[in-house]
Amino acid sequence: MNAKLDSAPLGVAVRISRIDWDAMSHDEGRRLREFGLMEGIDVTPLHRGSLFSRDPLALSIGRMQVIIRARQAAMIEVAPTAP
Amino acid sequence: MTAAIPTIALVGNPNAGKSSLFNALTGARQKIANYPGVTVERKAGQASFADGRPLSLVDLPGSYSLTPASPDEAVTRDVVLGQQAGERRPHALIVVVDAANLDNHLCFALELIALGLPTVVALNMLDLAERDGLTLDPAILSRELGVPVVPTVAVRKRGLADLLAAVDGAILSHQTQASTPSAPPPSDVALHQRARAIARAATLSETPVRRWTQRVDAVLLHPAHGFLILLALMFVMFQGVYAWSEAPIGWIEGGIAALQEAVTATLPDGFLRGLIIEGILGGVGSVIVFLPQILILFLFILLLEATGYMTRAAFLMDGIMAKVGLSGRGFIPLLSSFACAVPGIMATRAIPDAKDRLTTILIAPLMTCSARLPVYTLIIGAFIPNTNVGGSPVGLQGLVLFGLYLSGIVGALVVALVLRRTVAKGTAAGFMMEMPRYQWPRLRDVGIALWQRAWIFLRRAGTIIFVTTIALWLLLSYPKVPIDSSESQVDYSVAGRIASGLEVVVAPIGFNHDIALALIPAMAAREVAVSALATANAIEAGDDEEAMAQSLSERLQGRWSVATALAFLAWFVFAPQCISTIAITKRETNGWKWPLFMVGYLFALAYAAAGITYWTAVAFGLG
Repeated sequence: MNAKLDSAPLGVAVRISRIDWDAMSHDEGRRLREFGLMEGIDVTPLHRGSLFSRDPLALSIGRMQVIIRARQAAMIEVAPTAP
Repeated sequence: MTAAIPTIALVGNPNAGKSSLFNALTGARQKIANYPGVTVERKAGQASFADGRPLSLVDLPGSYSLTPASPDEAVTRDVVLGQQAGERRPHALIVVVDAANLDNHLCFALELIALGLPTVVALNMLDLAERDGLTLDPAILSRELGVPVVPTVAVRKRGLADLLAAVDGAILSHQTQASTPSAPPPSDVALHQRARAIARAATLSETPVRRWTQRVDAVLLHPAHGFLILLALMFVMFQGVYAWSEAPIGWIEGGIAALQEAVTATLPDGFLRGLIIEGILGGVGSVIVFLPQILILFLFILLLEATGYMTRAAFLMDGIMAKVGLSGRGFIPLLSSFACAVPGIMATRAIPDAKDRLTTILIAPLMTCSARLPVYTLIIGAFIPNTNVGGSPVGLQGLVLFGLYLSGIVGALVVALVLRRTVAKGTAAGFMMEMPRYQWPRLRDVGIALWQRAWIFLRRAGTIIFVTTIALWLLLSYPKVPIDSSESQVDYSVAGRIASGLEVVVAPIGFNHDIALALIPAMAAREVAVSALATANAIEAGDDEEAMAQSLSERLQGRWSVATALAFLAWFVFAPQCISTIAITKRETNGWKWPLFMVGYLFALAYAAAGITYWTAVAFGLG
């Protein structure tokens, strides 16, 4: 199963299976890693957009919450967390 | 050890509570300046060890790693590496980590420890981590990291003495041991794995995360009512600026009037008395009166920042901002610009994308800054009736003020849209940002920040505004009108004649001689328009007792039509009349091209907006 983070349901933890590092700029990739977003990590999408848009996406990673754009979330493949 | 005072740098991730710790350690003994050559703020302060020896503390900009993504982060790297001009390499580091976010914050801590400087880790906000259900063991953490770890709660001043003692110890023991050559830096993935492993080892027990913050976010980040709450908050903020400032403004006015009377009673009539009463007290006083409103506005912004709500606002606004080619990141600089465009433009440094940042800088002056408040307040007070709309508790004056703010925002969005398709074309901007948890604002930190803003405003009033007011008073007072002339002193003076020239240009948009006269010195700062009107008014009133007794707004009511007043308001929504903003734009964009572009397009918009307002108002019979 190759779901992307930008369409993952809110409130359900998922595990990052692959990130398309080549599709994003060097700085973008580095900032994602600084937030701790990398393969094998569990994240939970929490909030998506407001009245006028489905962008951005807020997600929790560990005890931290970060905001990314849907465009970046679309480069992140996720799988259900192991039971 | 030499007698030199040791310099200790506070470093850490954004949201680690670094600034609170800095405030707790230094108290009000802080100095804010800029690093030479860059516009990054340098915050330094004094503290002392338990035995009284002084030490100097530097608060470095929050950063995620030693690989900088912004000019702020570059300063942090350069200082800890000893490569920053104008700053010696610190003798020791205090690495501040959020106890509740060790997974992430330990990455940067590991990088910093590897530098080999004497280092102490402040395990900060331990109380909040405990509230979140985390139990940590500082001893294990210390063993894993190889440096002392001191639990701190900056807000309650807990652990501060232990922290400084540990720093003292680290510096002493460091001198006796040779520093080990650092290994090649690990990859960021490996660093994260290590950080997570250490965090796991130091965590004794843990319950599911941040229920409280998530429950609040379920409401405040809700796509529909979260957005309405944001709008409501901003509305309350702007109504509050009016409603709560009335009493303190009265006190300041009373104080200035008392001073003027005291001067009249002690000094003989002449040049000096005129200068002090009309020039200094009348001019500078008419600007200082707005201190309460500016402080209320800053108080709101500081509270929104301190509670963690500001990032939520950025989240909610990102959708709209993305539509005009900006990002939610730009919302914070733009909201700060409501207080003052200068810190707002400086805050754009956190925007990584160059075109996104340029556009944000160019539209920042459209946010209604506090310097416009004096102008808006004066004109609204004089020409808009102080009634409520219908039977509602919403005041008409507050509503007009809200409308002016809204015009600036809508104008800014349209301009951004145009700029992103023309001069600032580029790929869609990104938006990546950490969302801090909610916190009660610390009154002490808010108080210190508020005092710093007040001081900057008063210093401005004491320098730029003081000088332009006096210059204007001189230009208005000389040459003296001959006794037998029918002209007024103001029209006869040097300033009056210059204004007559400008009046030709601005007459089509409904501006009279008063306004032409006020616009010139207002190039220095918008609020000078008010002091210019006050000074001209005072000189014109001269010794006429009846005219002297009238307030400035009463005088304006007699001299301006409503259409002219509205056009004047519309002008100030757009006009780039602020030397400081132009200067900071030049510095932040490295040249004259963009500030000149900014001034040009804003004056064009101001002229058009004032014209359209005037002609429309005249058509409705308000001329």
